[in-house]
Amino acid sequence: MATEPKIMPVNPMEHDKYIPETFTVVGKRGVRRIDGQRKASGKAVYTRDINLPGMLHTRIFTSPYPNARIKSMDTEKAEALPGVRCVLRYDDPEIEGKKAASTQGVEDEVLSRNAYFEGQQLGVAIAADTEDIANEALSLVRIKWEQRPFVLDPVEAVAPDAPPTRPEWLGPSNKLPLFFGADEAFRFGDVEKGFHEADRITEFKTRRRYNGCADAEPLSGVVRWEGECAELWVHHQHPWEHKWVFHQWYPDTPMSKIKINTPYNGGMFGGWNWVDYSMIPTYVSAIIAKRTGRPVKWVFNRRDDFTFGSMDAMQTEYKVGVKLDGTITAVKVRTYFEQMALEAVGHLFENTRIPNLYSETVLVQVNKGPTHALRCEQQPASSCLTHVFNHAAAAVGLDPTEVALKNDGCEGRDMDYLAEFKRNNGFPVRDSLRECIEAGKKAIDWDNKKHAPGGLKMPNGRMHGMSFTWTHEWDDGRGAACAGLMVQPDGTVNIVGIRADVGVNAETTYCQIIAEEMGMRYEDVFFRNQDDVYLPLMTPDGSCNLVTNGYLMQKLGRMAKQKLLEMATTSSNVIEYDVPAAFPGYAPEDLDVKESVIFVKADPTVRMSVGEVALDIRGSIMRNKNDYAGIQHTAHPPVFVWAWHRQGRFGVEEGRARLCR
Amino acid sequence: MKRQDSKKSPGFVCPYCSAGFDAYEAVREHLLAKHSGQPVPEPPGTVTLTINGQVYKQQVQPEWTLYYLIHDRLGFTGAKQMCDRGSCGSCTVIMDGRSILSCMTLAIECDGKRIETVEGIAAQDHPLIEEYVKNHCMQCGYCTPGFVVTAKALLDRNIDPTEEEIREELAGNLCRCGTYPQHPKAVLEAARKLRVPLEK
Repeated sequence: MATEPKIMPVNPMEHDKYIPETFTVVGKRGVRRIDGQRKASGKAVYTRDINLPGMLHTRIFTSPYPNARIKSMDTEKAEALPGVRCVLRYDDPEIEGKKAASTQGVEDEVLSRNAYFEGQQLGVAIAADTEDIANEALSLVRIKWEQRPFVLDPVEAVAPDAPPTRPEWLGPSNKLPLFFGADEAFRFGDVEKGFHEADRITEFKTRRRYNGCADAEPLSGVVRWEGECAELWVHHQHPWEHKWVFHQWYPDTPMSKIKINTPYNGGMFGGWNWVDYSMIPTYVSAIIAKRTGRPVKWVFNRRDDFTFGSMDAMQTEYKVGVKLDGTITAVKVRTYFEQMALEAVGHLFENTRIPNLYSETVLVQVNKGPTHALRCEQQPASSCLTHVFNHAAAAVGLDPTEVALKNDGCEGRDMDYLAEFKRNNGFPVRDSLRECIEAGKKAIDWDNKKHAPGGLKMPNGRMHGMSFTWTHEWDDGRGAACAGLMVQPDGTVNIVGIRADVGVNAETTYCQIIAEEMGMRYEDVFFRNQDDVYLPLMTPDGSCNLVTNGYLMQKLGRMAKQKLLEMATTSSNVIEYDVPAAFPGYAPEDLDVKESVIFVKADPTVRMSVGEVALDIRGSIMRNKNDYAGIQHTAHPPVFVWAWHRQGRFGVEEGRARLCR
Repeated sequence: MKRQDSKKSPGFVCPYCSAGFDAYEAVREHLLAKHSGQPVPEPPGTVTLTINGQVYKQQVQPEWTLYYLIHDRLGFTGAKQMCDRGSCGSCTVIMDGRSILSCMTLAIECDGKRIETVEGIAAQDHPLIEEYVKNHCMQCGYCTPGFVVTAKALLDRNIDPTEEEIREELAGNLCRCGTYPQHPKAVLEAARKLRVPLEK
């Protein structure tokens, strides 16, 4: 089966012309968020809140060393501590030498005997009556270690004499293969030609260190077995995928016997969800739950949670060619990424008219915790874009916002191309970057405060800085989504699906779209999260996935409305008796729905509420729609942009900056 | 009834004759048999709290936090654990009129205290809840109850706070999603609603 990413042709797809004035719910202010009452009153349930009868609490040992191997382990005292119910070791036959898959398809060891970063969970897991007892038992575990040299800097890690950072996986090399859309070398145009055309060439280096994930709700999960059936509560953004990978670990447990519950997620923003390592506690807990016959909850503490880093931990060498009018002629970068990489010049390609780009990506394993996408996998690209504009502007003495607008475009093409694309595909023809820049400049009085880098020292001796950054709105829809829709006999509508809430109000968005498409009152539509994964929406329900799910909701609403009007105009055969049509003598196209009322378009006084029609047929209209939205990995140009302006105060003596606006 | 091994220090001692026992049930039986008419003392670790107007009598371990007692043992899951070290305000409850961090408070020290959680505030139909919904003061919602409880404590003692006072009061509550600008708006509006009956 082909696994190569599928590049879809530029395709206007099945979108409508964007006519805001025709909408009654979508795009309107003051729409009540449907989870608001639950979240404000403390009634919204998160995985951390789950407490089952007889539940055990599992904690896993964490490595005190960044690169080491367990030589031997003594768990005798831990096992003897009252309240300890199960001790699972790395040398247990059920797990030794076995790897488990993550929802990203990457494997990791379950309770490794090898430490590759300080704080890594490994070696032994202990389940006890309380979390405190489990922690106390872990403190009684005695381990003999073989400590090994470690490397924390990615450039040092690829030096010829660098010690191996993950020898059991990578051998002597610390270089990692690229994935997630990155190439070792990205070429567009001819950078040497571009540098030749430039009036100024500026070269500089930047470094971004780890940004911790800092979930609001630290990672946690619960596993319970009921006979041969497994039930999981996941604080995760890929619930459906859990079903699949759990089945890989327990092949005798078919997916049909695995139930996944998805409480609300306390702010995680991607982060841990992408990391195979974060799946380990789930597998460990499943083994313990099966052995003890009791539900098992695992939790990360705050220290555990901070071992994760955003995927823009990187060191980059830049060379930028720019003309005196701000036109950037070429950009060349080499980036050393720690653990995870994404093409650094990606946004320069997607969002500018810069004709010549070259990027080298070196992905390096260092002895630090895992990194992955956090609050957008495109941060490396955003970082690159920001540095290029600000340094290019400084090189020719221009305002970086002017340089951004001068180079605005798409894949080497100019704004005229983009305007034409928008015009042809039903989008408003707006220069949204310019609009955002103007609004941002006004908000912080940019024009009066701006100055050259290093050009303003404040009375207290600190430096003052102004910078500009922007990135594009996510333009890509991806993946697949399913949802069901049910018209209840009282005329209210349920959207049925499973979501992985990340707080961006997706449930409300789904209701808005369905209300708009079906002609229902917004108050009559309610998103009902399923207790199990049968109709998985594209998760998490934010960022680009909302595009996929929104598209699905649009189709679902239209189908449901069509079906509703068909049923309103035809008699129904039910077992006991026949139900006459609510609107006899009319065709579906003669009717419309507004404010949850079906009416005859030619004579709106002939009307009946959706509830009356649904009740009349003595049952509900149930139309499950498994609709796989075919908008994977689209390559059409970005249309919307975000822009931020930043004003900072800099303490040069500490080498640190404080963002103040 | 099993007497305590004389070599060990007794876990439970009769307050009237100093006899030692290894379990509370044993000393209780002894008290009823030998000292009938005398009050039976509560077992060690017993605390009585009034939570949202209802009395709860619980036996707690010395190391239990108030958060653990109310969230894990009693099911008041509105209090949330985010930092577990007194930095984020998500576990805030009101104790005897003051907002406190339940993750930094030992349950055993709360005997006789009056506790108010977000569930109790919501049950009162407090205008803060509605204003928090209307003003979209949440994204993921995990920290939101902590903000509501802190704001309630403020409004209990100051029904007409300034925006600056609200910001100051909520400064100890962290929101990972960054909803900060919305909170003062909601609290100001809730305060206004609370003042309406008083101004008539």
